[in-house]
Amino acid sequence: MKLLELNSVHLAYGERVAIDGVSLTVNEGERAVILGPSGCGKTTVLRLLAGLAVPDRGRVLISGRLAAADGRLLIEPEQRGLGMVFQDLALWPHLSVTGNLDLGLRARGVPRAERKPRVKSMLELVELTELAAARPGELSGGQQQRVALARALVLEPRALLMDEPLSNLDLELNRRLQEEILALQARLGFTLVYVTHDRDEASGLATRIVLMRHGRVVRDGSPQDVQATAQ
Amino acid sequence: MLLLVVAGLLPIAVMVARSVTAAGHLSFEAYRGLLTSPRQWLLVWNSLTLATLTTLGAVALGLPAGILVGRTDLPGRRALTALLAMPLLLPPYLTAVGWMAAGSENGPVANLLGQGAAQALFRFLFGLPGCVLVLTTAFTPLVMLLVAAALRGVPPRLEEAGLLVAPWPTVLRRVSLPLVAPGILLGAALVFLLALGEVSVPPSLRYRVFAVESLSQFSAFYDLTAATAAAMPLAALTAVVLGLEALAVRRSGTAHGVGVLAGGSVLTIPLGKLRHPATVAVWTVAVLLVGGPLMILVGQAGGLGTYVEALHSAGDSLWRGVALAVVGGALLAGLGFVLAMLVRERPGGAGTAVDATALFLFAVPGTVMGVGLIVLWNRPWANFVYATPLILLLGYLARYTAVTLRLSRAALELVPEGQIEAARVAGIGWGRRLVWVAAPAAWRGIAAAGLAGAVFCLRDVGMTLLVHPPGWDTLPVRIMTLAANGAPSLIAALCMILVAVTVVPVAVLSMILGRRAVVR
Repeated sequence: MKLLELNSVHLAYGERVAIDGVSLTVNEGERAVILGPSGCGKTTVLRLLAGLAVPDRGRVLISGRLAAADGRLLIEPEQRGLGMVFQDLALWPHLSVTGNLDLGLRARGVPRAERKPRVKSMLELVELTELAAARPGELSGGQQQRVALARALVLEPRALLMDEPLSNLDLELNRRLQEEILALQARLGFTLVYVTHDRDEASGLATRIVLMRHGRVVRDGSPQDVQATAQ
Repeated sequence: MLLLVVAGLLPIAVMVARSVTAAGHLSFEAYRGLLTSPRQWLLVWNSLTLATLTTLGAVALGLPAGILVGRTDLPGRRALTALLAMPLLLPPYLTAVGWMAAGSENGPVANLLGQGAAQALFRFLFGLPGCVLVLTTAFTPLVMLLVAAALRGVPPRLEEAGLLVAPWPTVLRRVSLPLVAPGILLGAALVFLLALGEVSVPPSLRYRVFAVESLSQFSAFYDLTAATAAAMPLAALTAVVLGLEALAVRRSGTAHGVGVLAGGSVLTIPLGKLRHPATVAVWTVAVLLVGGPLMILVGQAGGLGTYVEALHSAGDSLWRGVALAVVGGALLAGLGFVLAMLVRERPGGAGTAVDATALFLFAVPGTVMGVGLIVLWNRPWANFVYATPLILLLGYLARYTAVTLRLSRAALELVPEGQIEAARVAGIGWGRRLVWVAAPAAWRGIAAAGLAGAVFCLRDVGMTLLVHPPGWDTLPVRIMTLAANGAPSLIAALCMILVAVTVVPVAVLSMILGRRAVVR
């Protein structure tokens, strides 16, 4: 079933065209990786899906509902039911690990009695229970990464959007966290849209790869197909 | 740093020593007199009440104003910022003079609503409510500008992460505002201290406060020991309030303002359906509180003849004030920039000490600084300072370096680190790096800092009133001394001349600096 759709989407920042007629569909349960060099528009695709950017032309649909079209935002980001992990993680520095996870639940009106066990079980899942009271600045890179992941997943999103979240980590940690993401996805069953410029990372995570260049989709298929045609 | 110590800290240190000695021996006699007088405790209570209510008012108005002009899509934000910031450029008593003119026998309130309304306004003005109204108007811009600048420094990504889970009001309340809480706290602390040390508005509105005590002990009784003892509690309170503020900031774990004025992209908060009602409400408040008193002064001043007469009677004070402001502004720009570079290159120990010292000297009441300067420099060998405008310039350097230091730091933040590091690697020494690399890259910020410094010199009342040498009074001081007995139209004309002399150069230079920034 189609979960996320971009139909002939175009977006420019002044003179610079970021996205030029992109059409893309992500089905439920898929692990779609958007692969491409810096500046090709892959982050913009995520921002359009999240509702943080609005297309100049074209349509964005979430679960078949029109979310944005031709310069108009029709569904606010917080109403789309999506989670996002930013490249720089964007953890709120003034809140503890628990506070970072709790804020979204609180904003959605989840009762306190329900929030607490949800945060607790999510922290257990990402093995951060002992650091629940720590502030982001007190954590290592890998731990911060897991907090960002937990913050997005605690809301039980329909899809998780990840914007090069592992690009600043060393190779070993990168591989370990890739495995953790795969394990979490298998366990929780969320749809994953993952942006990266790293082919190995893409191959490791994807059930499908979307290759982008200069604001356009140039290949779309299974990892094997895309890698084969790229070579 | 040495200049800051000599100009500001040394006078206060000498003042402390003077307050606890009598005939060369340790003595707390001056304090005993101060502490055992019920009148003094009443003055302290009055001061704390005034400062607290002014702070609450300034935060209540300045916080939403800062959000609206700093981050939303409110129409006319630049013009609104300029209008709301205007009271910060002027001596606070100008607003008081405007309100008093509004409620006078032949003023607009009497003409429009009758004598009963004018008398009611007068009853409101004279006393605590009037002082709170005037000082809130005067100091709200400080909170507004700090909040707006701090909010522009919040990394957009943190707010976007919030927007994925909550609407803007929640993101603002739970993410943006907690991140700029230190900036809000600093604004509140400064407003509290500035209101506590204010000596021009309370006497005009017949509200007795402690800060006026040291002024009258010196100017009315020429009792320097009593004046010194009366100044000490305010100096101590300044240190305590700023210390508590610094402690709160450290405990919160975030720095002042999250990269205040650091530039870069910011997210605009859409007001949606609230856009038009908010525009009407904010402009109404701004015009009523800021524009209203000034327009009334224009009306009271009357025709051109009054302005000519005003210039004839106080023109010398005007030119002296302007000359001192120009020299003071230039010196402040230079000192602020050098110290900003020091703070940038040594963000730890020395840099923190410089920043804290400058902030303390800015927040300390003008009368405290004035008494300190008199105690230090009123000696036969130091007449070249005490009996000349040098004493005023030293005082200005001490009091207002914090302003130019902060603005220069913001300007330096925009200079890429690599430019300065490249000069360092190339073996260019500190002084040459400052002049050859940093200053050309940040000249616009230095010019803006100099302008702000000049404005603060020009509007100074508390310290200038105490230390100005004979024949060196400035226009704000002359207006204050004339206010008791001068013709209302003449006072109003002098006030408007002061407004013009302050606001016109600021507006013109802001336009020039802004335009060149766009061209480049």
